[in-house]
Amino acid sequence: MLEFMTILIIKTLVAFVVALLIVAYSTWIERKVLGHVQLRHGPRRVGYHGLLQPIADGVKGFFKEELIPDNADKPIFILAPIISIGAAVTLVAIVPFGDTVTIMGREITLYLTNPDVGLLLVLGISTIGSYGGILGGWSSGNKYGVIGGLRGAAQMISYELSLALAVIAVVMVSGSLSLVDIVHSQAGLWNIVKQPFAFVLFIICGLAELNRTPFDMPEAEAELACGFNVEYSSMKFALFFMAEYCHMFVFAALVTTLFLGGWHGPIIDGPHWFFLKTFFMIFFCVWERSTFPRLRYDQVMSFGWKILLPFGLLNILLTGLWMLIFNI
Amino acid sequence: MELVFLLICGGLAVISSLLVIFARSTLHSALWMVFSFFMVAVIYVLLHAQFLAMLQVIVYAGAIMMFIIFAVMMLNLRQERDVKVNARISKVVGIAALLVLFLELMLVSLGNNLNAIQGPITDTLVATHGRVAVISNFLFADYLLPFEVVSILLTAGVIGAVVLAKRVK
Repeated sequence: MLEFMTILIIKTLVAFVVALLIVAYSTWIERKVLGHVQLRHGPRRVGYHGLLQPIADGVKGFFKEELIPDNADKPIFILAPIISIGAAVTLVAIVPFGDTVTIMGREITLYLTNPDVGLLLVLGISTIGSYGGILGGWSSGNKYGVIGGLRGAAQMISYELSLALAVIAVVMVSGSLSLVDIVHSQAGLWNIVKQPFAFVLFIICGLAELNRTPFDMPEAEAELACGFNVEYSSMKFALFFMAEYCHMFVFAALVTTLFLGGWHGPIIDGPHWFFLKTFFMIFFCVWERSTFPRLRYDQVMSFGWKILLPFGLLNILLTGLWMLIFNI
Repeated sequence: MELVFLLICGGLAVISSLLVIFARSTLHSALWMVFSFFMVAVIYVLLHAQFLAMLQVIVYAGAIMMFIIFAVMMLNLRQERDVKVNARISKVVGIAALLVLFLELMLVSLGNNLNAIQGPITDTLVATHGRVAVISNFLFADYLLPFEVVSILLTAGVIGAVVLAKRVK
């Protein structure tokens, strides 16, 4: 029991630290890649090529003045960033970084938990996390904030459905809701080959869930002056910011797990493959941000309901037919 | 240990559902409701029903409460908009769909035995098939008809709410 607890605590700490490091350095990746795409250099003053920039940003966050607007709903205003970051970090617990390794004669699994409802847990917790942005927007008592929050809620409701439909197709092929089992089922052939449509659907809906360009409706600097987090400053803003990047990491890890074969790959061993693929997906998120302009709000909604949802249903239908015909 | 958690979470669920009624602001009561649903989900986990717990979180704490909060937030800046529906076509399509659904239900529920897993739910059954499989087996085989009837009832409730809201105008 004691040994089990010790291993669990160490694993939790390691996963937490790794996740936060990735979060910190994906902000660096984002600024660097965006910079180079736009023929700039990006940050390069602090440390070698700006490598210490995330740490400098963190320190700066702590020392900024903290403002709570007069007509804000104070408890919710404080609670909102906590919900955001709490949900985002919780999701790291079920990311399967790799299979088992043997350290000092003990078999240690490279994931914290493997619940048999893993995928549903992801959907559930990420829904709870999206309350953060919505409540943050509403409670700040600012009209831009409210609009941002409303947009966030509407977008959440619309795209969560299609995301779930994409996931269902993967579950049908893999026959399990557990992330580890899904990775095991891709030992021969990755799900991206079996489920290319679900892959596209998942990426689109995932970007919408992440509130990333071209779907960053709740923020939309040009229209809403930063939307839901307009009144937030100092560490509260930083928490929102971190939650966003933590979600991005979890999204990248999920794409890797569900479609890109998780830790499977030739020559180098599991966790390396996992991180390679995950960082490729993080790079992809930045890449597409620098490529696409923001969509119009009504276009986003009609695209979600009129195209993605029927498409997702059709994909499930076809998957079912395919499985029935080939008797899988 | 489990009992302690059960008492804490149950207590929190009860207190928060009382706060749903007593909270002054509508949004606060909606948030207490989210919290209450979440605590109920924790109780499900303590009963080793993870699948139900996750459904509780996704469907109630997630989707339904998101709609309610959305509605509460919308009340401040509402825009009336008329929705034009072609009543005759929708009636015909609706009745046809209802008939097809009804026939399908009758065929399925009166037809062959759908059960993949037999017998009462025991620990060994859960261990061999997994929780999700057992629940879905019973939900979509033994209790298919009640399940579908309940879903029709819920749809009827939604339509009823729309009709009532329109009549007030």
